Amino acid sequence: MNSSHLTTRAAREGSAPGSGKPVLEVEHLSTCFKTDQGVVTAIDDVSFELYAGETLGIVGESGSGKTVTSKSIMRLLSEHLSFQKEGSVVRFEGKNLVTATEDEMRNVRGARIAMIFQEPMTSLNPVFTIGWQLDEALKYHTKLNRAERKQRAIEMLELVEMPNAKRRFDEYPHQLSGGMRQRVMIAMALCCEPDILIADEPTTALDVTIQAQILRLMDELKSKLNTAIMLITHDLGVVAQTCDRVLVMYAGRVVESAPIAQLFDAPRHPYTKALLSSIPKSGRREHGKRLPTIEGLVPSLFHLPPGCRFAARCAYRDAHCDAVEPELTDAGPRREVRCHYPLEAPEAN
Amino acid sequence: MWTFILRRLLYNVPVYLGILALLMGALRVNDPISGKLGKNPDPSDYLALEQRYGLDQPFAVQYVKLLGDVVTLDFTDVESWTNDGLFVGEMLAESIVPSLAITVPALCLTSVLAISIAIISAFFRGRPVDKTLMVLAVVGMSVSFLVYVIFGQYWFAYLLGRGSGLSYFAIGGYESGLANWPYYCLLPVLISTFVAMGYDTRFYRAVMVEESGRDYITTAKAKGATKTKIMFVHMLKNAMIPIITRIMTTLPFLVMGSLLLEVYFNIPGMGRVLYKAIQEQDFPVVQTFVAIFAALFILSNILTDVLYALVDPRVRLS
Amino acid sequence: MAKFMQQRGVKKLLKDRLAVVSMWVIGAYLLVALGVLVGNLFTEGGLKSETELRIGPDNVPGAWATQSAEARLRDATFYLDSIKKASRGSDPAAAYAALEWGSDRLPAWKPDRIESEIIEPADEISTALADHRELEGNVEALALLDRLEQVVRARIGASHDESGNAQRSAGQSFRMLLGTDRQGRSILVRAIYSTKVAVQIGVVSALISVLIGTILGAAAGYFGGVVDVIVVWLYSTFSSIPWIVLLMVLASAFRGGDWDGTLIPVYAAFCLSFWISPCRVVRGEVMKLKELEYVQAASAIGFGRARILFKHVIPNTAHLMFINFSLLFIGAIKAEVILSFLGLGVKNEPSWGVMINHAKAEVLNGFFWQIGTATVFMVILVLAFNTLSDALQDAFDPKHV
Ligand SMILES: Nc1ncnc2c1ncn2[C@@H]1O[C@H](COP(=O)(O)OP(=O)(O)OP(=O)(O)O)[C@@H](O)[C@H]1O
Ligand SMILES: [Mg+2]
Repeated sequence: MNSSHLTTRAAREGSAPGSGKPVLEVEHLSTCFKTDQGVVTAIDDVSFELYAGETLGIVGESGSGKTVTSKSIMRLLSEHLSFQKEGSVVRFEGKNLVTATEDEMRNVRGARIAMIFQEPMTSLNPVFTIGWQLDEALKYHTKLNRAERKQRAIEMLELVEMPNAKRRFDEYPHQLSGGMRQRVMIAMALCCEPDILIADEPTTALDVTIQAQILRLMDELKSKLNTAIMLITHDLGVVAQTCDRVLVMYAGRVVESAPIAQLFDAPRHPYTKALLSSIPKSGRREHGKRLPTIEGLVPSLFHLPPGCRFAARCAYRDAHCDAVEPELTDAGPRREVRCHYPLEAPEAN
Repeated sequence: MWTFILRRLLYNVPVYLGILALLMGALRVNDPISGKLGKNPDPSDYLALEQRYGLDQPFAVQYVKLLGDVVTLDFTDVESWTNDGLFVGEMLAESIVPSLAITVPALCLTSVLAISIAIISAFFRGRPVDKTLMVLAVVGMSVSFLVYVIFGQYWFAYLLGRGSGLSYFAIGGYESGLANWPYYCLLPVLISTFVAMGYDTRFYRAVMVEESGRDYITTAKAKGATKTKIMFVHMLKNAMIPIITRIMTTLPFLVMGSLLLEVYFNIPGMGRVLYKAIQEQDFPVVQTFVAIFAALFILSNILTDVLYALVDPRVRLS
Repeated sequence: MAKFMQQRGVKKLLKDRLAVVSMWVIGAYLLVALGVLVGNLFTEGGLKSETELRIGPDNVPGAWATQSAEARLRDATFYLDSIKKASRGSDPAAAYAALEWGSDRLPAWKPDRIESEIIEPADEISTALADHRELEGNVEALALLDRLEQVVRARIGASHDESGNAQRSAGQSFRMLLGTDRQGRSILVRAIYSTKVAVQIGVVSALISVLIGTILGAAAGYFGGVVDVIVVWLYSTFSSIPWIVLLMVLASAFRGGDWDGTLIPVYAAFCLSFWISPCRVVRGEVMKLKELEYVQAASAIGFGRARILFKHVIPNTAHLMFINFSLLFIGAIKAEVILSFLGLGVKNEPSWGVMINHAKAEVLNGFFWQIGTATVFMVILVLAFNTLSDALQDAFDPKHV
């Protein structure tokens, strides 16, 4: 095993980002939670595709359902507190993951679809060494022997630019800084060369310089391994910098999806526009900026309005918006928007 | 690590000094000698006894003497009042083995069973198995210890095998030797295990459930770990921290928990010796035994902290 | 913030059906206890004398149990022996009139008639019965037994008709409902009376412990410094002695004094060992509360520290006080049983612990009514408190392990 294996797959598959068949198709995915106050639908009818080698950004305010979407894909939500509605499909290699058996899921998790979590501080098991935890993933999904696994794990640590990788191998999570722990998480996620990497706000808990490093790292890995990345973030700066396509979520719904350039140049949903206009023009490439506030509040999942969920905060709404919820409709090539009165389509299109 | 142990030791010194003072004070609320001699003793008898047992000396002197005895573990000069010619040292030596013969197996059995059941329960969390187990645990907890003892003795020692003239368990009594152990001690051990089960299972289950909600469990799942691996490797090692604490803190109480069993089954352990001493107002025995129990308790506390540090790397290295 | 959490907790608690049921059960027990307490004050000699009353033979099983032939013979013999003993005295008429088992008595006959209609025929039957070794399944013996009961047992009751056949009063049936103990006392009456003792011990010791613990814990957490060091030292010390030893030492320390025979030694022993857990919990909570804005704001406005402690901090630990009260109540009731077994607990009064302890010997004879009754009475109450504690913890302290 040497680092050459990292490039082979990219060469083998060699497709340009965003072309060909999607690796992952999510259709009408709805996830509900059983809570004390009743059942809530945290994400409602979410559909999108993910192509090999592309980075799909998912943005939205806190509570819009980004994490729930990604955990639903991986089936990581607790089975007795949550369920998917009838008709939810997560198609991966021709199989519907929503109805896959636990055994099938185990072969997918870690090996084919890997995930990096929002909280690097608590996502590593405090009582096992970094090495042990990296080794575990390799043990489940590769046929390597012990020595090879160790070598591979150290290689991965070096790949994510972990300083002093050999020594870190035997250390415990609490001996590492947040940035280093996130690198371990990335190394762990990538060590079995997954087809899809879901990164749930991989950088929010980190400071700006580390954030930039981590994002660059993910970008490099993507081009080396041709991995599809689902990047969940609050941060439009990060989106502009790294994503090929963006999905905007609001209160459990997808409200707009578009290639990056089009979204920034000509947002078609009022919510997207509000998001974009509230960052200073010069700040578009600036990272570390949180989503600026928009007047009003996100509706509670328990008291969703009958019409458009964004209506209460929308500058363009009318009675129709309050009465009928819009459907997600095509708005140009690879573009969709959920609005009765989408904003002007750009001339160039 | 050594400084850690030393710190814990030093911290517990004032606590132990306090216990001794409290204990000696409480035992002197009722004058021990009038307790022994009756309501209106002959003054000369009284003085003689007071002198013989050193109770005429100032409190501080008696305090230092008791402390010295405990620190040097030398009780050979403390004379029992009611067992002629017996010294506390001998009583302790005789009673410690029967006590351990019940306590240690009971603790091991309880912990293993309770943890296993807790894991099963947490594994099937929210399902009928879990619910049934937890209802049983609460109901079990609500029945008095004494009822278990009485029925345990009645069914297993008295009724079981009576028809065929066999006796599987002793109704009471004790004989030393490993071969005699099942006959005399197994029943008390089983009863004590059964009683502790409800509490422990619930506690361990709560620990497991709490651990199961942690982020690193999701990480392990996302890595493709099986449910059993997650349960027995990821969760159990983390859960060991509260589990160890629990076991260690119940340790000294188990000695006392077996008091009831020892009294009921006539097993000459430390609990029964203490009980009899209290009944017979055997002042020096009571005082020394309680002092020893408290010392054991504090030692087990320190041991807990050390074990804690061994399991949890965060404590170990700080 | 904390207020809000508490209000939400109460709502959640009231939605929990099990919790509501257990609160009703506890309420029922409290009412019974209150009833006994009041009855004790206003009836002559107190209800307590009722618990000492001999209402019939020993170890009579509960009303719906079928008795073995031996037990029936034993019961009949018990009455016959008492009557014969009265007949041998110098004034049989007065002795017969004085014969009383609860509200059961003999018909108001002249001594001659008792002699000829009860004692003589009964003696005859008894002699005949003595020839039979086996009663069970022996038709002839069972017929004799039936006749013996006709002659003796059927004559004993609250009211009698012309021919002396007795009618049992409702009160007596109630007393007999769950049988009698080894001294012919009503198990049901004693178990009900014990409810008062249990509630009394539970309420007094849990309440005092929680108050002491809360005040010490809050003071330690709020003032910190020396106060904290002292309180922590105090509870480390108390908790380093196994509670059962502490209870035994304390209970025996109070022995022989003026308070011997009252419940005060028991209270003292319980309070001294029970205050620790509320103290520890409240201290931790108060240390958290201290950092909260409104507490800091109150001190910035210049309220006195003690006033803030009592007005703002302690009320916000109310939920912990409830949880601890509930847990300690259980602790006290269960500890009472063990202390009573060790002979250090309740004296001069029945209690569930005393009853279970008395039942030891009965169990070996296969008589389970007393131990069963006391256990069921106790289990229902403890179970209700256990359920309530769980619900309280769920509602107010969801993170608790
Ligand atoms: N276990 C759960 N039980 C009940 N509701 C839940 C649960 N997990 C999430 N939710 C609800 O689902 C909605 C979406 O949550 P999610 O965590 O996906 O938001 P998010 O977009 O990831 O937010 P953030 O940016 O803060 O991470 C929220 O309203 C949340 O309250
Ligand atoms: Mg999230």
